[in-house]
Amino acid sequence: MRIPYSWLKEYIDLGLSPEELAEQLTHAGIEVDAVERLAELPARVVVGEIVSLAPHPGSSNLSIAAVDPGGGPALQVVCGAPNIAAGQKVPLALPGAVLPGRGPIEAAEIRGVRSEGMLCSGEELGLELGSPDGILILDPDVKTGQPLGEALGLDDPILVLDLTPNRADCLGMLGVAYEVAALTGAAVKHPPASPPEGEEPTSEVLQVEVEEPSLCSRYTARVIDDIAVGPSPLWMQLRLLKAGLRPISNIVDITNYVMWEYGQPLHAFDFQLIRGGRIIVRRARPGEILVTLDGVERSLDEEVLVIADAAGPVALGGVMGGESSEIKPSTRRVLLEAALFNAANIRRTSRRYGIPSEASQRFERGVNPQWVAEASGRAALLMAQLAGGKVLRGLLDSNPAPVEPRRVTVRPHRMSEILGMKITPEEVREILERLGFAVDPAGRSFEVTVPLRRGDISLEEDVVEEVARLYGYEKIPATLPRGEMQESREGLPGRLQGLARDTLTACGFNEIITYSFISPAELRSLRLPEGDYRLQAIPLQNPLSEEQSIMRTTLLPGILKTMQYNFHQREMNQLLFEIGAVFLPRQLPLAELPQEKLRLSLGATGQFPEANWYSPSQPAGFFVLKGAVEALLHRFGIAGVRYLPAELPFAHPTRAAAIMIGEEEAGFIGELRPEVAEAWDYPQPATVAELDLDLLIAKANLVPRVAPLPRYPAGLRDIAVLVPRSMPAEKLERCIYEAGGGLVEKVALFDLYEGAQIPAGKRSLAFTITFRHPQRTLTEAEINAAQADIEAALARLGAELRR
Amino acid sequence: MLDQIAQLEEEALREIEAAQDMEALKELRVRYLGKKGALTALLRRMGDLPPEQRPAAGQKANSLRKKLEELLRRKEEELRAAAAAARIEEERIDVTLPGAPFKLGRKHPLTLVLEEITAIFTGLGFQVARGPEIESEYYNFEALNIPADHPARDMQDSFYFTPQILLRTHTSPVQVRTMEKKAPHLPVRIIAPGKVYRRDDDATHSPMFHQVEGLAVDRGVTFADLKGTLLLFAREMFGPDQRIRLRPSFFPFTEPSAEVDIACIICRGEGCRVCGHSGWLEILGCGMVHPRVLEVSGYDPEDVTGFAFGMGVERIAMIKYGIDDIRLFFANDLRFLKQFR
Repeated sequence: MRIPYSWLKEYIDLGLSPEELAEQLTHAGIEVDAVERLAELPARVVVGEIVSLAPHPGSSNLSIAAVDPGGGPALQVVCGAPNIAAGQKVPLALPGAVLPGRGPIEAAEIRGVRSEGMLCSGEELGLELGSPDGILILDPDVKTGQPLGEALGLDDPILVLDLTPNRADCLGMLGVAYEVAALTGAAVKHPPASPPEGEEPTSEVLQVEVEEPSLCSRYTARVIDDIAVGPSPLWMQLRLLKAGLRPISNIVDITNYVMWEYGQPLHAFDFQLIRGGRIIVRRARPGEILVTLDGVERSLDEEVLVIADAAGPVALGGVMGGESSEIKPSTRRVLLEAALFNAANIRRTSRRYGIPSEASQRFERGVNPQWVAEASGRAALLMAQLAGGKVLRGLLDSNPAPVEPRRVTVRPHRMSEILGMKITPEEVREILERLGFAVDPAGRSFEVTVPLRRGDISLEEDVVEEVARLYGYEKIPATLPRGEMQESREGLPGRLQGLARDTLTACGFNEIITYSFISPAELRSLRLPEGDYRLQAIPLQNPLSEEQSIMRTTLLPGILKTMQYNFHQREMNQLLFEIGAVFLPRQLPLAELPQEKLRLSLGATGQFPEANWYSPSQPAGFFVLKGAVEALLHRFGIAGVRYLPAELPFAHPTRAAAIMIGEEEAGFIGELRPEVAEAWDYPQPATVAELDLDLLIAKANLVPRVAPLPRYPAGLRDIAVLVPRSMPAEKLERCIYEAGGGLVEKVALFDLYEGAQIPAGKRSLAFTITFRHPQRTLTEAEINAAQADIEAALARLGAELRR
Repeated sequence: MLDQIAQLEEEALREIEAAQDMEALKELRVRYLGKKGALTALLRRMGDLPPEQRPAAGQKANSLRKKLEELLRRKEEELRAAAAAARIEEERIDVTLPGAPFKLGRKHPLTLVLEEITAIFTGLGFQVARGPEIESEYYNFEALNIPADHPARDMQDSFYFTPQILLRTHTSPVQVRTMEKKAPHLPVRIIAPGKVYRRDDDATHSPMFHQVEGLAVDRGVTFADLKGTLLLFAREMFGPDQRIRLRPSFFPFTEPSAEVDIACIICRGEGCRVCGHSGWLEILGCGMVHPRVLEVSGYDPEDVTGFAFGMGVERIAMIKYGIDDIRLFFANDLRFLKQFR
């Protein structure tokens, strides 16, 4: 809502500068976003008065004007516009003036006649004023020679309000004036609103029937005769422009102007086009059609309230008028509607047809029922004054159930309890009265009568807010809640998420956060087979784009997209992880809320560690992710984890594993299948992992049972074997434990070799075995015997011992 | 005999002096002082001397032995020190070389801010609660006093799946879910961090962002308590001198309602480009829980009161770290992420 400061001054004395006013309103909860000016006018454009006009000797389309620039001799100006006449005041651009979109004005010869300036149209000045092909004719009372911006009041500050939806009352200048009155104590002055009425009664020419009072609680109509449609006066056009409205014609401008004053939407029909002299407010009938003012044909049904005449719909009530009964230059008789429509119905209609009009916006939020007739009278008066109208006698008014002001019981002590400070009944009363609320004492309470313009106030709490905001939030003390203590440490699931982040960042992984919605193409890139649960992604009904149109069922697209993005930034070494929810529907389309599962994804590519002088680097692939997963599971206290070769649709067939905790699959690690990496345009291999974080949280055990320290020394033996490449290391380890007869405490792989010196298809693995007995020191002979058993068992597996 | 001793001394002194290493020294010790050494041999021949010459020669020989032993010991020390010095020089490192590559990863800046907010409020006795991101119309709107066909719905443009199921537009549904579970027990003091979604996309709006909701319900909870709690939060988050300003505002689920500004952390309230020359930065919305919300959640608004607040995590991170485009949080550019600690 835009409030021109000088316009507001018509309704209340403002003892405040625009900036002070903005500050005070903001503090009272009417947020002023900005204080603006309509336009900056170029320098050296002044009000000129046409002294005389002569034809141009060289052109019948041009004339020569002598223009008084307000001091000094009259200037000779050549002009081509047809609408000028001697005695008019017009914008005069003097040499040196720079108009929007053109070079500086210079004195020049035009067809042999010297021109010492230029007369301007509204458009040439960058203003939506006057007609585009005519000079802007100024009001006769402006001062000749005055800078034009000043004469037009373009320096008038405009307060731009950012209104919350509850403050419909401030969608009108008068509502804002009452708010200012509550702040400053000044009185509000309503504009004149009693039109001179003629003899002919309105009811002679018009009948109004409201068939649907639940959707239209009040309908008033006036008829104004002998209208001359034309442009509205410049001052009104300027005010409308400052308010952000486009001037159209005097009749339409008056309805908008009065709407701005009262917050009451009005509509003017061409009465000659209202068939049968009847207005019927009813639901539309199925199949009915209306072409609205914007030229769009709307098909209607019973959900829509229409204003109809004897033959059919002529307007979408409270939303937009119909094209057929629109005000035209030929209009002579106007039907002026001021009504109250049902907020929810208006909102549904305006959204359904995509017409967010100034009128619908006000009806949706609530219009003051008290000012309907007054606004109608005001508009009729202006039509009489500015368009030569004759107002017929009487207002037709269908108002079967007049709205009564609400009464709210307010307990001052309750107010203190809610606000946490002492506020006396006298203070409460004083503030409420400033707001225009009538206050009647009733025992320890007040009976408060709420003015009709404040439709947002119905509960005691609403009144508490009114008092608090005018009392000043800054005067309310700052205390802390008291009461029973409660345990407040974050719960285990939250803490474990933190632990996962701590562990993975310590391992060198960077946390990312990606959108929960992904694109179908990203999901398809994973080559998931038909029937895979991850293909059951929930589609958004109204996505911003295809890119963000389905809810993720896996975190992989987020990781893959982030890797791609960083490759494009030439980041070749990437270690990434994300923690977030995936969304798994129980059925599609959704009938109930889907399952939200917490997942952890990882991605690695490049070298690990990054190339450095100190230690050699290896590819940041499967084993880097596996190491990170092992560290994480260790941190969570989860033991008995196995990694089984697995086939994943998006992973390299021989470089992928399922992560098993007991019999449960906790996730996977896999290098991307080359086709997938290629589809994402990766310059190098990359490996990803995804874990079921809910499962890890369920399995976590953060409190170890401490084992006593060993009391007897351990014996160490190294053992190296040559095995087929296909033999899993895990199998050898298990064999060593089993064959060791309970004396093996630990088996650690310390070397792995394949290549030259080793037969093709084989590899060498070397383990350090730690032998220990809990109750005594093992003898050399015992260790040797155990090792011999191990060697024999390994040999049975097909391992060749290397010595 | 005495000449022989003198000659031996001269020879031994020269050779010990010339010894280059421990090996040579050991060899000299054997050569002169060993069982078959030259001095030992001389001493053994002492018996061949006339008795009157024996004492002088014996004395001489013994003093030479002591002298040689002392010299050998000193020489040995000297060589050892030289060797140690050489080894240490050999072991010299360039301490300006980079250390071993322990590359720490970084938490996402939003995580850092969320952790900080959570720590502040858990320290104040608030529990952490969570709710679903895909939410029902009821919890996201109806229960929060935002009925269908109400203009307040325009405050939050939503992503829908069905007319009844949508992506939550705020963390406020967790208020109702938590109270429903807990009623009629008191107190309720929770914060609810999480992702929320609105149909907006520009430099200051992201279709997905994070909020932290706060809720305190008990007998005698006041607006002053809300103000005090938020002041404390602002000081913990932005510095001990931080000031806050509450401005009346409107949320359908609180009454009275307020928006909260902190003094601009760039200009300290003087007015600058970041705060639009107002001196203040808006960081959150809050208010006293609306009686209808208490009622639908199972509490009697005549018996208990509550306050609630909701803050945008991105907004706070942008203020705290001086970030001017919200989209940076979700591009996950490693050059951006690695700037956080």
